[in-house]
Amino acid sequence: MFPIIDWNILSLEVSITAILVGLIVIDIAQPKGNSSRLVPTLSFLALGALILFWLFNGAVFGTTFNGMFVSDSLSWDFKGFFLMAMNFILTMTQQYFKTSGDRLDSFYYLLWLALLGACLLASSGDFLVLFIALEILTISLYVMTAYLKSDKLSLEAGMKYLILGALSSAFFLFGISFIYGVTHSTRFEIIKGYVDFHGMDPMMLFASILVLSAIGFKIASVPFQQWVPDVYQGAPTPVTALLSVVSKAAGFIMLIRLFFGVFNAWHIQWETVLAVLSAITMCYGNLGAMFQTNIKRLLGYSSIGHAGYLLMGAAAGSTLGASAINFYLLGYLFTNLAAFLVIVLFYNAAKSDDISDYAGLAKRSGSLAIALLLALVSLAGIPPLAGFFGKFTLLMAAVKSNLIWLALIAAVNIVISTYYYLRVVKTIYVDQPRVTTPIAVSFPVQLVIGFAITGIVVIGICQGPFLEIAMRSVNNMAFLATYVSQ
Amino acid sequence: MPAVALIAITLVSKEKSNLIRQIANTGIFLSLLLSGYVFVNYNHVQGGFQFVEQIPWVIPFGISYHLGIDGINSVLVLLLGISSFAATLVSKNIKDRVKEYYILLLLIVLGTYGAFLSVDIFFFYFFHEIAAVPTFLMMSLWGSGRKDYGAMKLMLYLTAGASIALVGLIALYCHVGLNSFNLIEIQQYLATNPLPVHVQYWIFPLIVLGFGITLTLWPFYTWAPVGYATAPTAVSMLHAGVLKKLGAYAILRFAILLMPQAAAVWMPVVAILAILNILYCGLIALVQRDIKYLLGYSSCSHMGYVLLGLACINVIGLNGVVALMFAHGILASLGFALIGFVSDQTQTRNLDELGGIAKRMPFIATCFSMMALASAGVPGFANFVGEIMVLIGSWDAYRWQTVLAVLGIVLGAVYMLKTIRLGFQGPMNAKWAKLSDAQTITEKLPFVLLLAALIAVGCWPSFILRNIDSGIKPLSQQIQKSLNQP
Repeated sequence: MFPIIDWNILSLEVSITAILVGLIVIDIAQPKGNSSRLVPTLSFLALGALILFWLFNGAVFGTTFNGMFVSDSLSWDFKGFFLMAMNFILTMTQQYFKTSGDRLDSFYYLLWLALLGACLLASSGDFLVLFIALEILTISLYVMTAYLKSDKLSLEAGMKYLILGALSSAFFLFGISFIYGVTHSTRFEIIKGYVDFHGMDPMMLFASILVLSAIGFKIASVPFQQWVPDVYQGAPTPVTALLSVVSKAAGFIMLIRLFFGVFNAWHIQWETVLAVLSAITMCYGNLGAMFQTNIKRLLGYSSIGHAGYLLMGAAAGSTLGASAINFYLLGYLFTNLAAFLVIVLFYNAAKSDDISDYAGLAKRSGSLAIALLLALVSLAGIPPLAGFFGKFTLLMAAVKSNLIWLALIAAVNIVISTYYYLRVVKTIYVDQPRVTTPIAVSFPVQLVIGFAITGIVVIGICQGPFLEIAMRSVNNMAFLATYVSQ
Repeated sequence: MPAVALIAITLVSKEKSNLIRQIANTGIFLSLLLSGYVFVNYNHVQGGFQFVEQIPWVIPFGISYHLGIDGINSVLVLLLGISSFAATLVSKNIKDRVKEYYILLLLIVLGTYGAFLSVDIFFFYFFHEIAAVPTFLMMSLWGSGRKDYGAMKLMLYLTAGASIALVGLIALYCHVGLNSFNLIEIQQYLATNPLPVHVQYWIFPLIVLGFGITLTLWPFYTWAPVGYATAPTAVSMLHAGVLKKLGAYAILRFAILLMPQAAAVWMPVVAILAILNILYCGLIALVQRDIKYLLGYSSCSHMGYVLLGLACINVIGLNGVVALMFAHGILASLGFALIGFVSDQTQTRNLDELGGIAKRMPFIATCFSMMALASAGVPGFANFVGEIMVLIGSWDAYRWQTVLAVLGIVLGAVYMLKTIRLGFQGPMNAKWAKLSDAQTITEKLPFVLLLAALIAVGCWPSFILRNIDSGIKPLSQQIQKSLNQP
């Protein structure tokens, strides 16, 4: 029996694949030597078209491939999220590789491949599809991390990421095999049916711990966070940005799908585990970030801290918690990508990622300084910026689920994070610059920075509409447990 | 109104510092007029919230942009109007980065206005925190002495307080269960259905501790003297004068009036801490040689009376608290403005180096002496009104604490008179022969304005008291009723 395929549902993924293949063909077809312009330009155009498609075509919901591929509100909104993130990451890539055009085109294919993986992952309705999507995303990330062939740090980062990533994939597969053993299926629907009517048994407990560890690796939560600082520092900055936003969001989609949907019936058993993981993760990340001198490393540790805050929403286990995760990630997208964009531009001018070299940035380039200031203050969670309302909703989700102790630990962590973010702010604005040459930023890039700043401020002040999107995307999600508390 | 000036300034180019200055002055002056108008036209017979403006903001959480004036905040808004106008006027000595200076100053003023006017608990917090980062930046950029340390310490303490309070406020919101942040609705609901006592017991200390840190509750006062000593004059004025009062205002509004049962249990503890504030900080102030530190400790010591008044939970005590907040706000602004003027001329604030400068600047010395008398609680100045009401209010509940608090007044007189003797009177240090007094009207205006407010309220207290009373009385009667119920 051959399944009936509804191509309409798959339109976004099909277009991405077509773009990917098209780019490769064009690149091979054109004569050697003058290749460095065409692929980036086409990538931007294609991405613009996809964003327009996402905005105006309207979502097509449904399932296809016998329920292996699911398009619902959650996946559709997250695909928009990924496209938006790609917009920034392509700009970063274009700026970052300005000087070394060598082998650049293949970097673009890998970016598109990562995007395809992330979109598939958002839509998977079956553990096998989930695994394949995850591997598409992760393998392109391995290659991109080690992309700077002559840079030792980049190679080391790629190697570390590869070994730990492979280990986590192995865990994941092992977990899936147990689940299959118990439920005789890899389909989410069927597994959910099993979970809803059975208590937790040791076999499934073991399986879900393995699955959780794979998710933990993706979102960088304790105890699978060891790779983060080194990989963030060593990888080319656009890849760091990709890791910190797209890859982390992908992990949280898995978490929402599985722990708010498929495994939700066992939430009571999970709550404490997730809450403890959340508390340890945020403390680890924030304490680790306090004394960093490299800005990418600092953001690496801080991204562990943010994973901890986000896990607070997961521990809450309510739809409010999942919506809070969504909202927070949206703010995090603009905030973090603005920060990484500034880092790329600064690196081009100063060839350094050391925080001490950022001294007096405000005098060298006003727009970069403002963008970094807003990004850091928003990450610290101070109103009126996007990060504040994200933390506010997460705290509210935790308090509503009676996790007051967790909310208080988060409050302490906010203080710690304020310290290290403001230290950077002080360096940018107060310290005297060692080099005073102004940093020029071209107009299109300034537009992108302006877009990011607008995002940070608008989400921070007009929270309502965005919160409603975040809630809608959870409330209409496929496999949502019917009795999830509000 | 400050918002309009803020936008206007952002649009004006960097070079035109005079124009920027004028716009800022006009903007703040207009908002002073506006707050004066609102204050005078507040109908104290009718009571309740007037001049209400409400726009739904985040519908899922029941947050709305909701401003209004009642008896309590009409007085505090007037205080803010006067202090901020004086603070802008004394900022004319700033020569460096004028545009950034006024933008940040206006942001602080804007946030504080918003916080006082908000009837919505979420927006109170939101506006309250908007002032935080500008304060940090202003202190690091235009501060003096150990400014990095002072700014970071102030920021971390305040963030810690705010985060703890935030958890408390969210818990309050969740337990009330109205799905609304509207203070009026919550008040009405809680009047008939008070929260269960065991819930009140732990939410109450979170809010009091959180906002208590802002109010320099002993032993969390250490940020204030260092912070005020290192901050630029305008920031010390606004922070010691107005922003600190936000803490007391929040404790009054959100803790005592909403959770009276818990207040009855916890307030004796606060009363003891208040006495420690008064005596401990007073004793430290006694040995200070730096006038700004001295004023900083003296301001912490005065906050002890505010806390003591809050602790009595009766009509006269709470009335006294608000009157004292007004009086001390004006007093602190005046004190820091005077010191700022002196140290701008002499480049020192050390009592041993100063001496005899009254001969060169009689006007400033007179103002300072009057400030010192007001601070020592001499009748005829507004502080006397507030202090006497607090002491009368606390006599019944806390007999020996009141006696100790009176001792604190003596202490205050001692260190203030000592400052006058060492700094302004006595043999003139030859170095200061060339000092000049405040000469033009614009130079004198801020001091005259603040002094006039002190004396006016001191001689005609009912000017502010009738408004305060109309705000406090109904709420306080409500509290008494609910406390008397078993």
